[in-house]
This record gives sequence, structure tokens and C-alpha cells, in this order.
Amino acid sequence: MPKPVHSSGQGLTAIFSILRTQNPQLRLPLAVSFGAIAGALCRYYLTLGCNQWFGTAFPYGTLLINLSGAFLMGFFTTLVIERIEVSPDFRTLIAVGFLGSYTTFSTYELDTEKLLVSGHWEVTALYWICTAILGVLCLELGNFLARRLP
Amino acid sequence: MVACLQDLIPIAMGALPPPTNALDVPIAVSIGAIPGALSRYYLTLLCARWLGVSFPFGTFAINLSGSLLMGFFAALTVERIILSTELQLLITTGFLGSYTTFSTYALDTANLRRTGNRSLTLLYWAGSVVLGGICLEIGIRLAQLFG
Repeated sequence: MPKPVHSSGQGLTAIFSILRTQNPQLRLPLAVSFGAIAGALCRYYLTLGCNQWFGTAFPYGTLLINLSGAFLMGFFTTLVIERIEVSPDFRTLIAVGFLGSYTTFSTYELDTEKLLVSGHWEVTALYWICTAILGVLCLELGNFLARRLP
Repeated sequence: MVACLQDLIPIAMGALPPPTNALDVPIAVSIGAIPGALSRYYLTLLCARWLGVSFPFGTFAINLSGSLLMGFFAALTVERIILSTELQLLITTGFLGSYTTFSTYALDTANLRRTGNRSLTLLYWAGSVVLGGICLEIGIRLAQLFG
């Protein structure tokens, strides 16, 4: 991919110029949709990548996605509430659209079921409980780091 | 049911026929993701308006109903009722993956904890996870009734 930073910068600029031209009532649903496409595609390709690298015996992909998504949610919400001012469009695009779609609760439950059926009690319990506990811890870590930013 | 569920594993590993066009899969995921995220957005707003914001009713209802639908559609795929890879990805990875959310669930839990109501926090935190698993099971059984 040539010049990824430049092209993604252009993409975001294009998205915001589209958002600005819209009726305010349409802006937020459009922001949610743009964020959702990016979030769902990141989730899909990361899951595929993790399956290739680590195999499919354990849902590393969903675990990584849900924990990193929770961390980013904590970081971003604290950042925009306490540190920097951003437009409601941007806030919705990232928090509701991107991070909401990137992380997934239904796949987490399906993964747990698959692990349970495969007969590994300890691994199932570990995945099930650790995701729930570490998710909240990652979010709090994100909150903490956003407050500590210089 | 256990025998049927064991079929989920080869499907996760790509036992379904590969899609014909390289762009079909990302397009299917995106087409599912937009209505998924928009349903979540509007349902959260409606629940907050009807039931107030003292408890995250919206995210709770979304994650439980999404888990039920995930069980239902995953089992339909296992039973070979949904045969197209693109349709399966559109519904499960695209729509249901975007409809349900883990990051908002973690955020709601942290926000509830900050209000100091311990039992309500525990109810939401553990209740979502346990009831989500039960809803998934109900979805699988419902699909078997149809299948």
C-alpha cells in the first residue's frame, strides 16, 4: 500500500467534507455508518490474521479485538470529555461507529460456546471470565493513560 | 446438539466454499455493518429516552438479543440452511458483530461502578455475560426447531 498515512488522511478529510454538507439530522447516522464499516472490516481482517498466525484452537482474534477496543474506548472517551474538544460528529464516528462495531459481544459468546463444545472446561472458563474482567481493566487503563497525557 | 455444534469449528476454519470475487467478502461485511451499527445507535437512544439513563438498558438489550440471533444464525449455517459464505458473513460478522458491542459494555460497567451502586454494577457486568450465553443457547435451539 503506497503512502498509507497520506491516503487515510485524505479519506478522513473526504468523509468530514461529506458530513459537513449534510443536513444535521443525517450527519450522526452517516458518521455511525462510516465508522461501522471501518470497525467491522478491521475486526474481520484481524480475526483472519490471528487465525492464520495462532490457529483456531483459541479465539485470540476476538480477545485481542475486544480488549484493545475497550482500551481505546476508555482512552478516547476520557480524552474528549476531559482533555480536548472535538465535534459531536467525530465523537460519534469513533465511539459509536468505529469502536462499537470493532468490538463484538455476540462473537464473544459464540466463541465461548465453541470452546465449551470442544470440551476444554478450563480454557472456556478462562476465556469467558478473563474477557469480562480484562475488558473493564483495559478500559480503566485507557482512562488512566488519557488523564496522564502531558 | 453437541454433535451439531462441533460442526461450528470446521466452518470457522473456512470449510464453506470460498467466495468467487475478492471484493465480495469486504462488501458483504460492510453492508451488514451499517444497519447493525445504526440499529444499535437508535435503540440505545430510544431506550435512554423511555427508560432513563440510570441503567444501560439499551446496551443490555442489544447484547442479549444479538447473542440470541448469533446462536440462531450460526446454527442455521451449521444445518446448511444458509449456504452462501457472503450471506453468512453479512449476517454474523457484519450485522450481528456491529450490532452487539463489547467496548460500550465495558464503558457502561465502569460508569456504573463510578456511581457507587455495587449490586447494580455486578448485575450488569455478570448478568450480560451469563444471560448472553443463555440467549445464545436459546438461539441455537430455536434454529434447530426450524431446521
